[in-house]
Amino acid sequence: MKKFFIIICLLIFTFIVGCKKNSESDDVEKFSNLTLKFAYYNEGKLLEFDTIIYENEAGNKYLVNEIQYFISDVILHKSNGENILIDEWKDIHYIDTDILSTQTWKIPDKLTPGNYNSISFTFGISEAKNHSLMFLNPPERDMFWPEYLGGGYHYMKLNGKWLSDENTINPFDFHLGIGQIYHSYPDSITGFIQNYFEVNLPSSSFELIENQTKEIEISMNIENWFRNPNIYDHDVYGGDIMQNQEAMNLACENGHNVFTIKIIN
Amino acid sequence: MKKFILFSLAFSLLLIITFCNKEKITEIVHQPTPYEIEIPFGFPTVLNIPDDNPMTVEGVELGRFLFYDGRVSGRSHPDSLMSCSTCHKQENSFECGINNPDFPGGFTHGIAGKPTPHVMLPLINLVWNHSGYLWNGFISNENPKEDYRNIEDLVWMGIIAEHEMFSDTVRAKNLIQNTSGYPELFLKAFGSETITVKNISKAIAQFIRTLISANSKFDRYMRGEEQLSPSELNGFVLFTTEEGADCFHCHGGYGNPLFTTNLFYNNGKDSSFTGEYEDFRDRFHISGDPMDYGAYKATTLRNIELTGPYMHDGRFATLDEVIEFYSHHLIWSPYINPLMHHIANNGVQLTPNEKIDLKAFIQTLRDDDFLTNPKFSKPEFFPDGMK
Repeated sequence: MKKFFIIICLLIFTFIVGCKKNSESDDVEKFSNLTLKFAYYNEGKLLEFDTIIYENEAGNKYLVNEIQYFISDVILHKSNGENILIDEWKDIHYIDTDILSTQTWKIPDKLTPGNYNSISFTFGISEAKNHSLMFLNPPERDMFWPEYLGGGYHYMKLNGKWLSDENTINPFDFHLGIGQIYHSYPDSITGFIQNYFEVNLPSSSFELIENQTKEIEISMNIENWFRNPNIYDHDVYGGDIMQNQEAMNLACENGHNVFTIKIIN
Repeated sequence: MKKFILFSLAFSLLLIITFCNKEKITEIVHQPTPYEIEIPFGFPTVLNIPDDNPMTVEGVELGRFLFYDGRVSGRSHPDSLMSCSTCHKQENSFECGINNPDFPGGFTHGIAGKPTPHVMLPLINLVWNHSGYLWNGFISNENPKEDYRNIEDLVWMGIIAEHEMFSDTVRAKNLIQNTSGYPELFLKAFGSETITVKNISKAIAQFIRTLISANSKFDRYMRGEEQLSPSELNGFVLFTTEEGADCFHCHGGYGNPLFTTNLFYNNGKDSSFTGEYEDFRDRFHISGDPMDYGAYKATTLRNIELTGPYMHDGRFATLDEVIEFYSHHLIWSPYINPLMHHIANNGVQLTPNEKIDLKAFIQTLRDDDFLTNPKFSKPEFFPDGMK
């Protein structure tokens, strides 16, 4: 009986030790989490919506009502040259100033702790992925870009109003997406131009610490859409630019300088 | 003592078996057949169906009877019957229609003559509306009051509203309870012969969610089954371009075949929205956002030629008047939606030919299958055999 008891004790001990070993080996895979938050500024201050208190480089007084846009293919660049595409299976993210839940993106990927040199992303959606009927449900659905104008989805809708040189407050729809080449404007489209571009965020190195969540804010600095390197004048380009490749091109060139990042914690 | 313990154990066992079996029996009796909504090509995949009212074949069948039965108003005299279908006519896309002899000009009123505050909205593709029902979205999942959130709530509200059936829910429920045939149908749909207004509302809401339009000429064009005429095609281009008529941002297109975003816009009809001009049923009075003064739901353009008069107050009788308004007569206000950027020119400035083409395209959104689908029509007989 005594022998039997000892054997049982040994078996239990072996079982416990074995289990412990397993959980220790689980711990070997260390990871960190990343959350991206999206914010809007003008001249360094948080953007105030619906009030005409801003003036752009061209001298247009203006307000912003709402901003809706896509970023895609967000890549974290490591110092060893490794590039990590985040949230691979949901690689297009929609952000809407009217929908709070879109303004925070908890990246589901378990990321390796360590130093990262920078973040980059595609503003809008690349040609390879920008297909019509890819989003059937709102709110992304309502970003569709008409087939006649190239199809797919708007990269961005930035809607606002400006005080025109005729002293009237007119709406502007600063909408970016696929541009068109016209044989005779506004009919006879002969080709399309992909206006999406890659944004390499300046000073975007950060460290991911084991078992911690890093929060990074991606800031859109509104004034830069209209000034750097091109001065964008609403009185020249008017209320709509979806069929004005010259205006969209200027805007997209400025777009390279619109985004910055801020490490929150 | 031993005998007593044995007896107690046996008795307890019997009780457990009896109760367990009872539960099983109930489950077996109430097994309604799930109703599957087929998603048409290009349509949204997320449906607005509340968790406590799943779609069933039995629920939809019952809902169809109730939708058309004037006794839902709690009255049985032929002069005072009123049902959902009194105003929601299938041939007019489940809207009243401008040529309805009971409601001249398409302006509806309740059984006792009180006008409805706004003109009607059609019952079409509502299972895909997640942004609130009515012109201002008052009935929505965002509403803090749980009795004002979905189509179910519009049913009981319709029964009691003075500008609709002007009845009370107890009368309605009792009359349906005492109408032969209905208790059996409620048993099949909801597992109980005891009729409640909640279940009346649920059944009618289930039926309304089946009212799907997805086979207009434009749908067939989208599916590659039919070609549009040159005029219709030109109208489509106008519809979906900013330099054309610029309708698509609010009313959809190829990328949004519902032909509405179901969102709310101030589309430039008026200049004043406060004081004597204040409409307590505009979007502002729901959202509290000053930018929503004078904003109303963008209606679906499917079957739009049948659903006049147009705008929330029915100020335009014909599609031509609406096109004329967007073309030349927009009115500026600080609250105008930024998507109405053509306000600088008072409108999109269509030429006469462009207006013809735009209208031709909009008419391709008419869905005759929907307007005549026997599954949506009045049943030949009600459950008690009445016609």
